[in-house]
Amino acid sequence: MSQTTATVPAKSPAPQRRRSGVAYWWRRSGLITVLRFGGITAFIALWEIGARAGWLDPLFASSPALIVEKLVQMVMDGSIWPHVIASAQIAGLGFGLSVLVGVPMGLLMGRSETIRATLEPFTIALNASPQVAFLPLLIIWLGIGLTSKVALVFLGSFIIMVINTEAGVTQVDKRLVETAHSFMANERQIMMKIILPSALPYIIAGMRLAVGRTLVMVVVAEIYASTKGLGYLIFQAGGLYDTAQVFVGVFVLATAGVLLNGLLRWAEKRLAPWQHLQNG
Amino acid sequence: MIEIRGVSHRYISGDETKIFEALSNVSLKIESGTFVSFLGPSGCGKTTLLRIANGLITPSDGEVWIDGERVDGPAPDRAMVFQEFNLLPWRTARGNVEFPLEVQGMARAERDQVVTRALAQVGLDRFGEFYPHQLSGGMKQRIGLARALSVGPSYLFMDEPFGALDPQIREMMQLELMKLWDSDRKTVVFVTHSVDEAVFLSDRVIMFGTSPGRVIADIAIDLPRPRWTDDEAIKTSPKFIQFRNDIWRQLKRQLVAMPDA
Repeated sequence: MSQTTATVPAKSPAPQRRRSGVAYWWRRSGLITVLRFGGITAFIALWEIGARAGWLDPLFASSPALIVEKLVQMVMDGSIWPHVIASAQIAGLGFGLSVLVGVPMGLLMGRSETIRATLEPFTIALNASPQVAFLPLLIIWLGIGLTSKVALVFLGSFIIMVINTEAGVTQVDKRLVETAHSFMANERQIMMKIILPSALPYIIAGMRLAVGRTLVMVVVAEIYASTKGLGYLIFQAGGLYDTAQVFVGVFVLATAGVLLNGLLRWAEKRLAPWQHLQNG
Repeated sequence: MIEIRGVSHRYISGDETKIFEALSNVSLKIESGTFVSFLGPSGCGKTTLLRIANGLITPSDGEVWIDGERVDGPAPDRAMVFQEFNLLPWRTARGNVEFPLEVQGMARAERDQVVTRALAQVGLDRFGEFYPHQLSGGMKQRIGLARALSVGPSYLFMDEPFGALDPQIREMMQLELMKLWDSDRKTVVFVTHSVDEAVFLSDRVIMFGTSPGRVIADIAIDLPRPRWTDDEAIKTSPKFIQFRNDIWRQLKRQLVAMPDA
């Protein structure tokens, strides 16, 4: 959780030769689809069967049916929404600030040797340290309200944005920079018209990582001195041995993570289509 | 006119133990409105000299003057075409051609007109909305050429522009370049590895030798123009063959002298 290395944005594999037929479709995607959905379905089924047959203790393991029942009940009576809204607010603010601060900082560090030399010791130190350990300090400095929680999310996520953006800048094709230079672009134009678009896939890859970090930090922040939020919900339920409610909280967080990741993948394909079509 | 005065350039290896002398005391004058090729083996400094003349590289010694002004960086009346095209993959053909105009602060309406004209000049008027990865190598270099032409340069610097293209496309591009060039006769400095290409295109072929990079010959090519109307007649004429053989003989001597040839 404390170490982050820059991730390289995924490139789609070179397009295969076109082939057709059911057998080919099956080989290419049918089997994969079956494995994807089959695996998870079998897992849920076994879990449910295990709980009903008495192999699993429902007190500890709950069961898919119980979790769904709990989720539906919490949605219907509206008791889940204050928690979702509280967590979303912390996550949104913390993540938004991480991107707003982390991307420009990464761009500057990647582009200027002076700025990098000055700031790198701080980013390395922050990246290497478990940022959750700062929470007591943040609470002392900023109080137990929204601010300290947003600050914790920011601390965890912004470092990922800085490191990924910087990695994106250092891999920018030098020839494109030279080209821009030959057409009289100034440093600001090179930054906005060459560096930023080139680094965009890395920035989006960083955002995908930062979403995961953000969710972790939200839960951690809400354990302490909190009266609402999904983190609070989970730990309160845990204390009461209400495992179904624990799973409801986890499920909502995981769903949010998956949806945001999907959204960012989609954005990457829209904003950086050349990454995926280069071989076409 | 481009005046290269006593230009030398050295590259120092990363660990600062080796010095590579890319160019040694090169002086040249290139008259305006002429088409000049730099020809020579790899490592002879021809590409370095092209970049020095354009202002992308500051030479270790010596200076370059263009139209009475000392070159100390790129200028709006000089444009470059690159071997690897160097197109921005996130911009369409139009967007790429527009890039230098945008950078130079031209208003959008005017930009649109200039881009449309430049794309038409290279025969890509119907491909403005395509992205580079959707186009062939020849088309990509047409965009590179349109981008350079869009700024209306007096000087065109071309760094092995057709080197990455397959042979047939390469010859077609040579013809089109000749046709374009005949319409306004800009000053062109053209770097190439190909003897045929240099002879076919140029008014003057300047040959470079290696270690250190230097000028070893300066040959006036007085083949008749226009050359694009009947290129086969030009390329099979005794004079063309004579030039080609003379230049090839000298080039061969350079290549034989090179340790890795």
